[in-house]
Parts: sequence; C-alpha cells; structure tokens
Amino acid sequence: MVTAGELRHKEQLYYDDVKEGLALPPLVLGPMTPTHAFRWSSAIENWHRIHYDQNFAIYHDGLPNILIQGSWKQSILPRYLKDLCLPDGWMWKVSFQHRAMIVPGDTITCWAVVTRKTERDGLGFVDLEVGMRLQNDIESCPGTATIVLPIRGGRPIPYPFVPPKN
Amino acid sequence: MAETKSALTDEIRALIGVTGEKVEASLWGLEREDLRRFTQAIMDPDPRYWDDEFARTTKFGGIVTPPIYCTYLSRKTPPGADDPITRAFRENPESDGIGGVDTDRRGALPPIPTNLKRIMNAGNEIEVCKYPTLGDRIFSQAKIADIKERVGRDGSPMLFITTETVYTNQHGEVLCILRASSLRR
Repeated sequence: MVTAGELRHKEQLYYDDVKEGLALPPLVLGPMTPTHAFRWSSAIENWHRIHYDQNFAIYHDGLPNILIQGSWKQSILPRYLKDLCLPDGWMWKVSFQHRAMIVPGDTITCWAVVTRKTERDGLGFVDLEVGMRLQNDIESCPGTATIVLPIRGGRPIPYPFVPPKN
Repeated sequence: MAETKSALTDEIRALIGVTGEKVEASLWGLEREDLRRFTQAIMDPDPRYWDDEFARTTKFGGIVTPPIYCTYLSRKTPPGADDPITRAFRENPESDGIGGVDTDRRGALPPIPTNLKRIMNAGNEIEVCKYPTLGDRIFSQAKIADIKERVGRDGSPMLFITTETVYTNQHGEVLCILRASSLRR
C-alpha cells in the first residue's frame, strides 16, 4: 500500500536514474476479499453476480470463487504506473492481457522492469515490462508500458501530453 | 481434406472503420463524491483526487481523476430510468446481473454477423493524454478499428477484433484512448 502522504511528497524519478533491467518499486495490494470486489462493483455499477454472489459464481458458473473484476485490474496498472511517474512524469501507454483469475485471498504485486530507454524531443521515454503477480508467482496481467520521465535539466513534460508523431 | 470456410466474410470486412455515435458518457459532469468512491475502490489515496489546496500546486492546477476513470462512466443507470435490475430479474430469476441489466446501447457498435459465439478478452491497450477534472463532461466514440482472421490450433477459424474508443472532454480534448481486443471462436 501507499499513503496519501507518500504521494504528496513523492520524489521525482528521472530518466537519468533508470537503466535497462532496473526493477521499479512494486505496489502490493491485498489480500483481496469479497468486500473489495463488492466495493468496486458498486462504484462502477457492474452488477455481474460472479463478482459478489459466491453461490452464483460457484454453482451456476462453475468458478472456484467470486472473481476480482477484470475492469478493476484494468485500472490498477495505470494507477501504479501513474504513482511511479509522479509528480512530473507521465503514464502514457499500457497494454496487457487478462490471464490468471484473481480470487479472494490473493495478494497482488504490481511490478515493472525497464526494457528500453529512448530520448526523443528532449523527453525521456521508458519502455517497461509490467504485470500483476500473485502470491504464488502466477502472473495475472502481463503487459508492456511506456512512461515518460523528465530529464535532469531538460524541458518539462507537456500537459496535456502530446504523443510523439512516430 | 475439406477446405476451411473463411470467417472473415466481405460483410464482416466492411465493418472495419465503422464508427459509433459520439455520446456523452457522464450524467452530470464529473462529481467529487463519485470520484471518492472510485479512488477508494482502486485503493489510491492520491491527494490530487480530493485535496483542492494541494492539487492547485501540482502541474494539473486542480483536482484530477485517475488515468482511466472516464472509461467507466457510461454504464451507469440514468436517473428516472425504469429499474433495470428489477426488470431483469422479473424476466429471468436466474439473471447473471448483466443480461437484461446493461441495456444502454447508446453509441454502441453494430454486432459482428458471425456464427462464432464464444468471446474471449484478448487484451487491452490504453493511451492517456489528459486527466479530466471536476465538472468536466465526458464524451466517448467507439469504432471497429480492425478485424483479422486467425486459425486455432485445431484448424478452426477465429476472428480477432479490435475496437477503439476515444474519450474527450467538453472542449474536444482527447483524454484517453482504449483499444480492446477480443477473440471470437
């Protein structure tokens, strides 16, 4: 978990400070519970019963338990990458696949490893391999991402962010 | 050996590039209370979402939302609508909570005319350009970006379909783009 105070005073990660192979600080969430899933269903009005009705999930749909929502997972990786970029970097792109199911009892570790650095137009583009790994080392959400980090002494990253032409 | 019939018919190929209606995803513009519930559900305590004084000191100049918050707005039940949950369960006591409940098809893309009924999520790509702020009105427009044919391990045809939904604010600024891929088999 991360606190509001930590995000308020987050120190900037600079392009200069990362290199290929570097593992960025992880974010651990959980253990997940049915209450977490219910809170998300309620927040976005997703009434699919497999996310909060255990009898339905197991006996009707043949699932091992209620499932933590794919739509929730979809917001977690961007949120994690956003944190890594604060205060002045930018979470530009992330793509991922939904693999292993997440069920109550699972603990999730969001992770990112630098795969490439590219300086373009005075901005530091950092490609990452990312994912959401469960406590048993099963990868639930493998993917890739590109974040933009400021270069020491370089120009500020524009906001709104304007993607490079190519 | 019998020739496998292509799943990518001319009728399906003609759907590539088809764009849905641009619709407003937000009901009343972005609200602080809805943002609180959402950010707590993703366990993100970032003060940029709720502390006006601090948010004014950031590069954003005020309260913003999580990166893809705006992509979740369109499924909310509009006020005054007939209760979709009661209706769905009256019609089907075994409703899964989706069928008959999610009936708002505004801006929806046309269905793919195929006999391949099984749908699998094949991944998502998200591109973020700007965070919305309180009061913003959010609009979305979807299109069928691509449809390709693939062949399964057993030789059966499959369709790989990518839709692209662009989210904009009331000024026409692009907030984020969501590309969702699915397999039909």
